[in-house]
Amino acid sequence: MNHEFTTAKAAGLISCHSCHLLCESGKRFVERVCPRCGAQLHDRKPNSIARTWALVLAAFIFYIPANVLPITTVISLGKAQSDTIMSGVIYFIHTGMWPIALVIFLASVFIPLLKLLILMFLLVSVQRKSSWRPQERTRLYRITEIIGRWSMVDIFVVTILVALVHLGGLATIHAGPGALFFGAVVVITIFAAMTFDPRLIWDTEEATYE
Amino acid sequence: MSNAKKDKPELKGLPEPEFRKRKRGISIVWLVPLLALAIGGWLVYKAVSEKGPTVTITFKSADGLEAGKTKIKYKDVELGEVDSIVLSKDLSQVIVKAELVKEAESFISHNTRFWVVRARVAAGSVSGLGTLFSGAYIGLDPGKAGKPATHFQGLETPPVVTTDLPGRHFELRASSLGSLNIGDPVYFRRIEVGQMVSYKLDEDGQAVTIKVFVHDPHHQLVRKNTRFWNASGLDVSIGADGIRVDTESFATLMIGGIAFDTPANLEPGEPAEENDVFNLYKNRESISEKTYARKNRWLLHFDGDVRGLKEGAPVELQGIQIGQVLDVSLEFDANKAAFSIPVLIETEPDRIKATGKVPEGAEKQKVMDYLVTKGMRAQLKTGSLITGQLLVTLDMHPEAPPAKINWEGRYPEVPTVPTAMDEITTSLTQMLNKLEKLPIEQIGSDLRDTVAGAKRLINSAELQDSIAALNETLNQAQTFVASLNKAIAPELKTAVSNLNSALIQAEKLAKSLNSNVSPQADRTLKELQAAARSIKVWAAYLERNPEALIRGKSKSKRR
Repeated sequence: MNHEFTTAKAAGLISCHSCHLLCESGKRFVERVCPRCGAQLHDRKPNSIARTWALVLAAFIFYIPANVLPITTVISLGKAQSDTIMSGVIYFIHTGMWPIALVIFLASVFIPLLKLLILMFLLVSVQRKSSWRPQERTRLYRITEIIGRWSMVDIFVVTILVALVHLGGLATIHAGPGALFFGAVVVITIFAAMTFDPRLIWDTEEATYE
Repeated sequence: MSNAKKDKPELKGLPEPEFRKRKRGISIVWLVPLLALAIGGWLVYKAVSEKGPTVTITFKSADGLEAGKTKIKYKDVELGEVDSIVLSKDLSQVIVKAELVKEAESFISHNTRFWVVRARVAAGSVSGLGTLFSGAYIGLDPGKAGKPATHFQGLETPPVVTTDLPGRHFELRASSLGSLNIGDPVYFRRIEVGQMVSYKLDEDGQAVTIKVFVHDPHHQLVRKNTRFWNASGLDVSIGADGIRVDTESFATLMIGGIAFDTPANLEPGEPAEENDVFNLYKNRESISEKTYARKNRWLLHFDGDVRGLKEGAPVELQGIQIGQVLDVSLEFDANKAAFSIPVLIETEPDRIKATGKVPEGAEKQKVMDYLVTKGMRAQLKTGSLITGQLLVTLDMHPEAPPAKINWEGRYPEVPTVPTAMDEITTSLTQMLNKLEKLPIEQIGSDLRDTVAGAKRLINSAELQDSIAALNETLNQAQTFVASLNKAIAPELKTAVSNLNSALIQAEKLAKSLNSNVSPQADRTLKELQAAARSIKVWAAYLERNPEALIRGKSKSKRR
């Protein structure tokens, strides 16, 4: 299907990522450089699947300490209390603040995991040259890209708390190691989403493949 | 596809890209997951390698403990955290699971002790106030090295002495705990040198073992022969020797305490070892009483009142204590229908310094028999008039009726004599009985009759008349004497002057006769002188009592 669509790659053309100059695609398997700005020219994002896989795996690895290690340590009147993301969620559930618990759970636990799973699904489907619902898969990718950055909310809250709550002996909040890993998960996921080339979803429609 | 190839020529004239040789190889992006793996692996390694031993501690209550929050500390250094708190199956205890740090593994042994540190306010001390804000934590004392263990019984009260404190533990045996409690001070000459660590009731419930700890330099003061005593509170004792009040310090009044000292009458012995066992004396006074190993028991039967005789009352021999009363009871002899009071006493023969050959066994019996035949008897005596305390004395009563020691029973029975007070009472009673026998009523009525008769006699008319007659007679006698005085006096005067001249002549004659008839004359003169004196007396008497001429010399005057 979609025979009426012509892609630049199919037409033997290549567009510079930097200055968007349209060039002849020329020979494959050599490094091509934009004649105008000198940037490297690619038909598709280079090595997209491998890079995305690498980043997704890294994000998965970091996802574990991000949830196991404490994200904040509240020292109040000499009593130190460390909280992981989930213990915070449970705390809010126990105190009856369901909306806050839900927001934290969605933004900090559910969405990062969802993003990673979506990316993995896209990667697997592309590698298997699946032609299953490319439009929906592209929509998933767009959602991933858009909501990905909102996972940083948690990190921002922690940052603000650490900066604001410095009441000496009364209360002090320290960021825990979990915050660092959580930040790493969010950032790496954003990079993973960036390195993934959604055009690959549609390339299976083409007879030719890089 | 073919369509696309056909479209291609339309875009001819587009610039050709420059070509470079492509570098092939593994993408650098794989470093990211490798790095992540490395970090993750390091975290896992760290978690595993730092994972210390997990211990379970049972407590009676989890008051103040929180899973995941409560820390385990030693010297305020965090050594672990409580993982979970669950109830034991029989719901009697809580089981606290705690994870300790890796370093703890080296010193956790079956000697390690755990307890919950909470704010405590006791009479003697206030501790753990910090936990009011930070919450309770579990204290840990590593203890001495021992077998590795993972299950511990948590202490309900913090141990008073931790392992690192230099000093020595001693065990004290006491019949009762008194008002002592864990943490109570141990005094030496009123200086606090240690603390009571623990106490334990013997399995048979007969005695209490108290553990005390004496701090470093002072533990050398504890010798093998040191005496410990209970310095708790105020010791007021009312005994045979009056009232005594004894206290160690104001603090002990409130919370109790133990004191020790080495009596001056004993040579300082060897320094005491760790966990040496000592006797805990009741009070300070009792430590200076020598303790004697050998003890003899005797039975005494008293018939009289023994009010004021208590267990522990002294047994004295010539005023020196040689033992004490062990038991006083009351016996009823159904055959004789009589009560008697058997008193069990204990004597310490070592208190008596014996010279010569000390008798043993059967010999000893002979000595006692001999002493009793010589008159040794037991007797009750009043020790203090104020308190009425009695004591038992063994003294010689040679006048006592003969008696013998009864060696038959469980305890040899020493004969007794009644109390001195009893004797007084007995003789008083006898006197009263005699008094009672006197016919006082009869004597009274006789006396009354006599008085009545006398009264009647005095008031009778005859007596009145005779008195009047007597009066008259006296008057007559007076007139008669006056007349006699007038009639006789001049003649008497001449007679006297004649006598005087005769005497002068006689004197002259005597002088002349002095040489040969002097002794006879002298005698005669003396007789004459005596005669004259009697005449003079007679005359004087007559002058006072002229009636004597008529009635003769009377013995008394009557009116």
